[in-house]
Amino acid sequence: MAAETSMTTARARPRARREPLLDWMVLPTLLVMAAVVGYPIVYTLVLSVQDYNLLDFSPANYIGAANYAKLFSDPIFWQSLGNTAIYTFGSVGVSAFFGLVLALLMENLGGAPFRAIRALLLTPWAVPFVVVAFLFRYMYLQNGGIINAVLLSTGIVDAPVPWLNSATIALPAVMAANIWAMTPFFFLLLSAALSAIPNEVIESARVDRAGTWGMIWHIKLPFLRNPLLISSLLMVISNFNDFAKIWAMTQGGPGYSTSTLVVYVYRLAFESFEFGYASAVGVIWLLMLMVFAWLYMRALRMENR
Amino acid sequence: MSATSRPSGAVRLGLGSIARWVAIGLALLWSLAPIYWMLSTSFKTELEATRLDPTLWPEAPTLANYIGLAGTSLPFVSFFINTVVSCLLTAIVCVVIATPAAYALSRARFRLSGAVGYSILAFRMLPMVVVLAPLYLLLLNAKLLDTGTGLVVGFTTFGLPFAVWMMKSFVDAVPIEVEEAARVDGYPRWQILLKVVVPLIMPGILTTGTFVFMEAWNNLIYPLTFITTMEKQTLPAALVLTFTGQFKTDWGGMMAAATITSLPLMIAFFAVQRSMVRGLTSGAVAGA
Repeated sequence: MAAETSMTTARARPRARREPLLDWMVLPTLLVMAAVVGYPIVYTLVLSVQDYNLLDFSPANYIGAANYAKLFSDPIFWQSLGNTAIYTFGSVGVSAFFGLVLALLMENLGGAPFRAIRALLLTPWAVPFVVVAFLFRYMYLQNGGIINAVLLSTGIVDAPVPWLNSATIALPAVMAANIWAMTPFFFLLLSAALSAIPNEVIESARVDRAGTWGMIWHIKLPFLRNPLLISSLLMVISNFNDFAKIWAMTQGGPGYSTSTLVVYVYRLAFESFEFGYASAVGVIWLLMLMVFAWLYMRALRMENR
Repeated sequence: MSATSRPSGAVRLGLGSIARWVAIGLALLWSLAPIYWMLSTSFKTELEATRLDPTLWPEAPTLANYIGLAGTSLPFVSFFINTVVSCLLTAIVCVVIATPAAYALSRARFRLSGAVGYSILAFRMLPMVVVLAPLYLLLLNAKLLDTGTGLVVGFTTFGLPFAVWMMKSFVDAVPIEVEEAARVDGYPRWQILLKVVVPLIMPGILTTGTFVFMEAWNNLIYPLTFITTMEKQTLPAALVLTFTGQFKTDWGGMMAAATITSLPLMIAFFAVQRSMVRGLTSGAVAGA
C-alpha cells in the first residue's frame, strides 16, 4: 500500500516555477462543489441573520445576531448539543474498543473458515442505517420485543423495559444500535493496521519473551495509535451527521431526550419552517465541527509525514 | 489488504485459547443475531411477529410478506427502482467528475494542489444538515424539488468529495513511471489518464463508486426533505414514511421490506470489501 501521498511528495519536491496555479482537471469538481456546497454555505450564513420563515409570506428581514442570541438561551439547543456529544463520543469510544478487541482476537487466524468468520463479523456494516433503526426498534419493543422476552424469561428483569419510551434509557438504547452497526468499521481498519506491523518487531519482542499482554500493550498498541486516532475522528465526524438511525428509531423523542443537533435543525427547518433560526444553529455547529475536521487533517498530515 | 498469515507460533490449546474462541463466538452471535431476527421475522405472519413469547423459528413460514410488498397500495417496486436509479446515477456522476480531479491532485503539478485538496477534504466533513435548508431553496428555485435529479444533486454534496479523496489514494499507488512511455510519445495528459491510468485503477474506481452508492443508499435526510410525492420516494424514506404511523404493527411486512432494502447494499459491500481499507481513510492505515 502506498504510504506517501501527493501532499508529502509535493512538499518534498521543490516546485518548478513554471507550474500552473491550477490544473483544469480539478475544475469540474471545484465548480460542482462551489454550486452544491459553497453557495449553500454562504446562503446559510445569510439566512442565519434573517427571520426567514417559509410559511411566513412577508419578506425576510435582517435581524442581526438575534438568532444567535436566541440560541444561547434555548434549552433545547443545549440539550441537543449534549445529546450529540454523548451519542457521538459514547458510540465511537465503545465501537473503537470492541473493534480493537475483535481485531486482536482474530489476528493471525488464516484460512478459509476464518475468512468466512471475518466476513460475517463485517456484515452489520452492510446493513442500511434505516434498516438498523427499524430492526432495533422491533427488538426493543416493550411487549413482544425479543430483548425484553429474553430478559424476562431468564429472570434478569421482572417487568418489560420501556427501551425507546423512556427518557433516560432511550439514548443509550439508540447508541447500542449505532455501536452494533459501527464496530465492523473499526474491526476492519484495525485488523489491517495490525497486519501492517513489521514482522521483525513482533519477532524481536517474541525473542525477548514478551507475554501476550505485554506484547499487546507495549508493542501493538503504539502501532495502532495513529490508525485508531484517524478512524475515530472520521467516525466522530460521520456520527455528528447521523440522522437516519435516530430519526427512524425515535424521531428525537421521547420529548427531546434523543434529539441531536441534526434532528433539531431538521425539526426547526422542516417542521416549523424556521429557516433563519435553523441556519444559525447550523452555523454554530459548523464551527464546532471544523475543529474536529482540522484535528483530522492534522492527524492525517502527521501520518503521512 | 488482508489481515492474515503472519508467520506465528502454533495455536496453543489452553485456557487462553478457549477464552478466545468463546469471545469470537459471542462476537459472531452479537453481529448476526439481529440479522437472523430480521430474516426470521420476515417469514412470519403478522400475528406471530408480535407475539409476547417470540418464536425463534417461524412456526408457519410464509412468503406472504414479500408477495405483499409487490401487491399493496404502496408502490414498493417504484421505491426500489427510484433508489437504485438515483444511487447508481450519483455513483456514476461522482466517479466521472472525481477521476480527473483525483489524478491531478495525486500528481500535484499545480501550485494550489495542497489548498484544493484540503478544501475538498473539508467539504467532505461538512455537516449535511447545514446545507439542507439552502439546498432546499436552491432546488425549489431550480424547479428540481421532488425530482430524481434533485436527489442526485443532494447526494453529490457528500459523494463527490468522498470520491475524490478515495480515488486519489488509488492513483497514488500507480507509479509515475508507467506514464513515461506515453508522455515520450507525445500523448496529451487526458489521453494518458484515460488510456494508461484509468485501466490500472479500475478496481479503485469500482470500489469508490460502490462506496458512493452505499452512502447514497444510507441517506435518509435528503429524500425525506427533497421528495414530496410518495411514488418518487426512495426505499429508506418510504420505510420511515409508511411506518411512523402509530397503528401500523405489521412487523413481518416491515422486516420483509427491510430485507429487500438491505440486499443490494450487502451485495455491493461484499463485492468491494477486500479493496476498501485503502480508500477509506486515505492513508490512515498505510503509514502505520
